[in-house]
Amino acid sequence: MASRLRGRPAHAPGQTYCSYSKNGRKLVTVGSNSLLRTFPHNSDDEPPVIDVRTDTHLAVAASNDFFLVGAEDGTVTKYSLLTNSMEEILVRCSLPIRDIALSPDNQWAAVASDEIEVKVVNTRDMEQVFYLREHPRSAKHVSFDFNNSTIAVSCVDGIVYIYSISSEQPQLLKRMDGLIKMLENDADASSRVIWHPDGRAFAAATATKDIQVVARADWKLQKTFKGGHRGDITAAAWSPNGALLATAGADKSLVLWETRTQKVVKSIEDIQDVILCLQWHPTDNVLSYTNTNGELFMRTGAVPGEHAKLLSIALQPAPFNGDPLSDISGNAIGPRSNHAKPGANGWDPASENDYVDGLLDDAIWQDGADFIEDDDGAGYAEAPNRNGKRVANGIAGPIAKRPAPYSTWQPKIHDSFQPGSTPWKGNRRYLCLNLTGFVWTVDQETHNTVTVEFYDRQEHRDYHFTDPYLYDKACLNEKGALFSCPPSAQHPAILYYRPHETWTARTEWRVNLPTSEKITSISLSDSCIVATTTAGYVRIYSLYGLPLKIYRQKSTPAVTCASWRDYVITVGNGPVGGDGTTRLLYTIENVKRDETYQSEDILALPDGVELKSVFFSDKGDPCIYDSEGVLLVLQHWRKAGEAKWVPLLDTRTLDRLAGGKKEESYWPVAVANNKFHCIILKGGEEYPYFPRPLLSDFDFRIPVSGSDEDNAELTHQKMLEEQFVRKTLEHSLAQDLVDNTHATHAQKSEVPVLEREVDKVLLQLLATECREGEERGMKALEIATLMRDQTGKMLEAAGKVAQRFQRDILAEKIASLAERRLVGIVDDDEV
Amino acid sequence: MALPLPPGLTASEVGFLCEMEFVTVIPRQRLDGLELLGGPTQPLKPPFPTPLPLWLALLLKKQKRANISPPPWLSVEGLSHILDFETDTRTAEVFSPSQALPPPMGTRRGYEDYLDAEIVDFSPPFLPKSSTTGAQAEALPYHWLEVGHLLLTHAADDFDDAEGVRRLLRDLREVRMSKLRKGFKVLDAGAGVKLNGVGAMEIAEVRGFVGGVVDGLRKINRSREESRKEREAEDRENGLGGGSYQEDDDDMQL
Repeated sequence: MASRLRGRPAHAPGQTYCSYSKNGRKLVTVGSNSLLRTFPHNSDDEPPVIDVRTDTHLAVAASNDFFLVGAEDGTVTKYSLLTNSMEEILVRCSLPIRDIALSPDNQWAAVASDEIEVKVVNTRDMEQVFYLREHPRSAKHVSFDFNNSTIAVSCVDGIVYIYSISSEQPQLLKRMDGLIKMLENDADASSRVIWHPDGRAFAAATATKDIQVVARADWKLQKTFKGGHRGDITAAAWSPNGALLATAGADKSLVLWETRTQKVVKSIEDIQDVILCLQWHPTDNVLSYTNTNGELFMRTGAVPGEHAKLLSIALQPAPFNGDPLSDISGNAIGPRSNHAKPGANGWDPASENDYVDGLLDDAIWQDGADFIEDDDGAGYAEAPNRNGKRVANGIAGPIAKRPAPYSTWQPKIHDSFQPGSTPWKGNRRYLCLNLTGFVWTVDQETHNTVTVEFYDRQEHRDYHFTDPYLYDKACLNEKGALFSCPPSAQHPAILYYRPHETWTARTEWRVNLPTSEKITSISLSDSCIVATTTAGYVRIYSLYGLPLKIYRQKSTPAVTCASWRDYVITVGNGPVGGDGTTRLLYTIENVKRDETYQSEDILALPDGVELKSVFFSDKGDPCIYDSEGVLLVLQHWRKAGEAKWVPLLDTRTLDRLAGGKKEESYWPVAVANNKFHCIILKGGEEYPYFPRPLLSDFDFRIPVSGSDEDNAELTHQKMLEEQFVRKTLEHSLAQDLVDNTHATHAQKSEVPVLEREVDKVLLQLLATECREGEERGMKALEIATLMRDQTGKMLEAAGKVAQRFQRDILAEKIASLAERRLVGIVDDDEV
Repeated sequence: MALPLPPGLTASEVGFLCEMEFVTVIPRQRLDGLELLGGPTQPLKPPFPTPLPLWLALLLKKQKRANISPPPWLSVEGLSHILDFETDTRTAEVFSPSQALPPPMGTRRGYEDYLDAEIVDFSPPFLPKSSTTGAQAEALPYHWLEVGHLLLTHAADDFDDAEGVRRLLRDLREVRMSKLRKGFKVLDAGAGVKLNGVGAMEIAEVRGFVGGVVDGLRKINRSREESRKEREAEDRENGLGGGSYQEDDDDMQL
């Protein structure tokens, strides 16, 4: 800038604020006189003026077609940007308005005043209001994140309160103490939270006159922008792509920072007054600001030449500790956040670089759409700058790679996933989490470090190793650990098995897959290793790396696989159903005996429900867990055509959720000891994270009936009925196991025990029926006929129960039934 | 002959008794079931949580062979809920409820006792699940103070927020002690304080004082004739020797 920039006198000397409309065409300024001005972008003409009755204005927020102005008299007024006229008074407060924030979708406006509560009002319907009340003193600043779901309130007590507004009632997510300074309501200094455009982080001015970046995922402090100001920071703003940060201080300074390095790019000297409000133009290299003297500056070419390209690159990640330094070319390593793909369990089965590209594209595609809305169709988003590139990337990238969710002609394919793993969050993720232990990996920029930990510390020793192959899938059991990595430029896809203990030298081995074949899921059992690949193959190896067999899966693309001893279940996408999604088909086979038990049978899932996990229970029965929170087990699966999925537990009906107070979901880990082992996730989390949460277990409860009754007697009866169905199921599973395998003695002796338990429950049901009255005798007799006991003891006991309640007729009938059974006259079918 | 100790149990005795409570342990190594006097323990198999007596759990914890997972009431949420209940003006008069009884086992299906050989009904204050992870979150068990203290001392790293729990436990203790002391104001010869929900350690703390007060009041209020009889009886006892023993014995019964 050769010549000194001339300020535009916008308002009477005093506090002045400005806001760009979201399409960047207009800049609205408010100040301490009864005029509002809307400056058109790229024009030196005298701006249109709106005369208003209020005379001191302290806040402004603009969308594309309207803007909101907050005045010292406590009103928030909505003006149209199209007609430059007042529309309505949106909110009234009893005390001066301090800040207004518009949500990125322009639907909600958060209003901070000197009153304690923050009002969040619908901009179209002012009767829709909710209040944020958890902070004890009045709010100085409010700001929305880019997902419309979170509001950060900077309170005058020096604490940032983060609210979630995604639920019906706003919830306080976090109190961030010690981040910002305690400030007076009317102080020039700012404690505003500014959300980074990538959505993973926000930043705020600290008491030490620095800008501190905070991660949204875990509220941990990240990088700091240090040493730029001698006075308190009065305004700060991220550039639209997050690559630059502009801050202004009370020492009449204005500093531009590069986000990636946290270094000062430029310190602008010719500032006469304290800047109160900084605004980047959404697309152009223009930085506008207003000061305490009623002046507006529109600084064209604010970013000097050699750095101006920073403004035109793609969305940059927020600076995190330990994050890989991102390259400004925009197509190297990008943010590995999982927010870009919230629905999918994981990651693209593409190569590492493809995966990163995909994420980056997605991030640009989605977030870009979020933070610049092209809702007026003006086409600025197609302007021949970075946006042009972005649009092309966006269409060519994700849509081609991913199934478009709304197109009618393209089937919706279930993504492949690895049971027991989580996606990247921050720089770490779990590769495998089960009852043996857990495997997690940390991204170290050039390589990963993989850590294997065990629950049983006596049996196994924890270990970790440096991983140059970037393994992205793992399995763990008592015998060893199996890893797989996607192919890259240097190596093809690799399968790596590492046994825990051997009696010779360590016999770990690696298998290279054919070039361009990628692994979609792997599984490890006591006797074999299974990998499904993008080529549609199921590859089976022995534990010593001997390839046992390979065949092409009938239903592809493969979704996942699991194994237990010699049994292998593979799940693939089958034919497309009526709703455009593919039906999942599963196949169960025994690798050693080469028998197929179920071939391409349907994995029973209702409409719109996705498969979350597949695993074998500790008794060797296949189990699935779906996105609705239902755990199902496969009954009679050893006989072709007879298999059926039986629900074991519906986590939505758990007693702990009964009050409706808790909002939690369950992340499946295993089924063992007749219990469902899971990790409880609170607050809308989808995956477990660090530190490793505790395992919880729940007893099975088959959803036989609703539990809305207060009647204790009825509840007891329902409980018995559920017990009957559950014990019958357990008995049939055990019976199948004994009939079809070389069962151990313990397993064989379990069957009569379970049979006896079924009869016991029946006996209790019989007692409740007898207690109800004589007229329930028919049902009681039916219950008696269901008894399985062949020795007649149970029927004898049933007769005794009937006699005790003086149901003599029933007792007689039971006695005669017992007699007939004893001589073998009555078959069960005749009853 | 006089007993050297005050009547009732001392704090260390109460602390010792509480070690028989069951807590949930997450084992870090295998251990077969042990045949103990109090019954066999379940075999330990990581990572399945297993109930163990507190003393054994603390032993394993000290040897780093297990982690103890604190009961739900010993958490910031649970304790703050209980504290809210205790400090609420509407429930200012009563103590927070104790853990609910498990459903009776014997009475409901008494006619089939032959099927369940080992029907044992538990009665308060010793409930089998009061300190395991199966306990209720919003009720205190009988041994809350001792269990809380022991777990915070020896297994603080197994808590999410040990400091917060410790602080709340201290608050709760103070609130409840002040309630108990308020109860003493109405003490009279015939009056009593309702002790529903009061824990073992709290009883042990106030037993000496309350017993003394009630006994003193009884002595003041009784008729002259009674007191004469008693004095005579005492004299007789003294004549035979060991009078103070009798007095202590009286105290014990309170």
